[in-house]
Amino acid sequence: MIPILIVISIIYLGLLVTFSLVTRQKEKDTATYLLAGSKIGSVLGIFTFAATLFSTFTLIGMPDFFRTHGVGSWMFLAFSDAAMVFAIISVGYYLRKKAKREDFKGLSGLIVQCYKNKFAGYIVFAGAFIFLVPYVAIQIRGIAIFLNATFPGAMPIWGWATAMVVLMLTYSEIGGLKAIIYSDMLQGLLLLIVIWIIGYNCLTYFGNMNNLFVKIEEVNKGLLSVPGPKGLFTPQFLIASFIAIMMIPFTQPHVVTRIIIMKNYKSLFRMAIGVGVFAMIIIFPTLLIGMYGAVNHPEASTADFISNVLITEQTDFIAAFTVIGLIAAAISTSDSQIFAMGGELRSLLEGEDSKMLQITRIAIVFFAVTILIFSLLTSDQLVLLARTSFAGTALMAPMIFVGIFATKKLNMALPVFTLVCMLAFIGSLMGLIPNSYIGIRLDLILMFSLTAFALVNYHFFSEKLAAPEQVISEAK
Amino acid sequence: MPSHQKILWKVCCIAAIIVSILGFTPLAIPNNIFQPKLLGMPYPLWVSMLLSFLLVFLTFLGTKVHPGKNNPEEE
Repeated sequence: MIPILIVISIIYLGLLVTFSLVTRQKEKDTATYLLAGSKIGSVLGIFTFAATLFSTFTLIGMPDFFRTHGVGSWMFLAFSDAAMVFAIISVGYYLRKKAKREDFKGLSGLIVQCYKNKFAGYIVFAGAFIFLVPYVAIQIRGIAIFLNATFPGAMPIWGWATAMVVLMLTYSEIGGLKAIIYSDMLQGLLLLIVIWIIGYNCLTYFGNMNNLFVKIEEVNKGLLSVPGPKGLFTPQFLIASFIAIMMIPFTQPHVVTRIIIMKNYKSLFRMAIGVGVFAMIIIFPTLLIGMYGAVNHPEASTADFISNVLITEQTDFIAAFTVIGLIAAAISTSDSQIFAMGGELRSLLEGEDSKMLQITRIAIVFFAVTILIFSLLTSDQLVLLARTSFAGTALMAPMIFVGIFATKKLNMALPVFTLVCMLAFIGSLMGLIPNSYIGIRLDLILMFSLTAFALVNYHFFSEKLAAPEQVISEAK
Repeated sequence: MPSHQKILWKVCCIAAIIVSILGFTPLAIPNNIFQPKLLGMPYPLWVSMLLSFLLVFLTFLGTKVHPGKNNPEEE
């Protein structure tokens, strides 16, 4: 496998270098460097959105989730993703409209404009940083552990993790968001091809779908229904996950950016449909891989299962492609998230554009180093940690939605309450407070409390904006 | 924007909400039940797949009648 892997790696790295050089600009400004000129067409849009959304979480996490918890995993991710694309055309449209009016540089900056208060933007920035760092870190760690297990003795885990961070920093620092988008296209395609070949091989092993599920019925009947053999997929878990995933396009800065930078509304709509279709066709093979694992590797650890199914049991050619596909999957999400954190910081800075951009580029390196350190310390629960990240950022949704749709002068009560809820959620993750009350999950309680608070606060305690004539007379 | 288009957009939104809610009822995900099967797939899987495809199809229909379809801000 090694000679094939070296050839594919050289081609892959060559393409990344080409993208960086093609998109490189001598005179960098925020609009071109951080927002890729905001003229992204639907095809590029589909792939950059999908590659950002479907990462290691999909290639490693989802097969393992299907293997361990069964068919309810479809409801957990694919159904939520399908609802998410409807949300993109309904709410995303207004988000885009608002962003265009407010000269969008980042979600935090947009929220500052909406609430006319910097503190509101700081809350969004802090939320993005706290909940995205572990998510990015776990992806880098996941692949580093996988590569270390596949090529023992080649490099330690920290060596693989550092190599990936350096690679993504290099091309994103040189080419900006445009380089990331082009590499997303390559990585999205690679991910799709690799996952389908392996999924097809897994199905071929059984002959057809019917045989596959008959075998599963013999091995572990619990995998065929909800809540699954371990009882994970309770209605509460599924509903909380559904809300968290549906909110991703409005609360996670790297995804918000991809809605804003689309060329026009038509491109946005086409992108939403494309992402919906992409979600279905990329999650389906993970079901096949997971079910194959449930029959052949039911007791194996996640690393062993993935290593066996994706590498050992494939031909050298496919295995080499899979290794590159896995690296591509990890870095296509991580680079976008690290870059978006830089964008968020830029949107909070005021001053000469070139100077602020310089600070942002240094900050991106700082974020990458933070993530690298975190990746060496974090746990291995890929899907559940990703879900925690989605749930954490989803707590900002009511505050962001009020900001987008408000026609009144907004007060700071909702951002402050959002901060309190995020702290409570972090407290529950750290074990400082219980994670359920009277049988209801804390994340659900917080989401509903924030929604109720947002509605009451907006309708009863927010002042109407002064009419234009009144403003003029006051100015006189 | 023609009023019938507005109505159709609202119908799409209501349909998407209904499908989303339906997904979490015992009709779609009954506890510990996997019959009847379709093409070998257990009941919760093919029903949730069907509902997911329906939501993507509603998104497609939604883009055809969306209020922003003929937005003057388009370049």
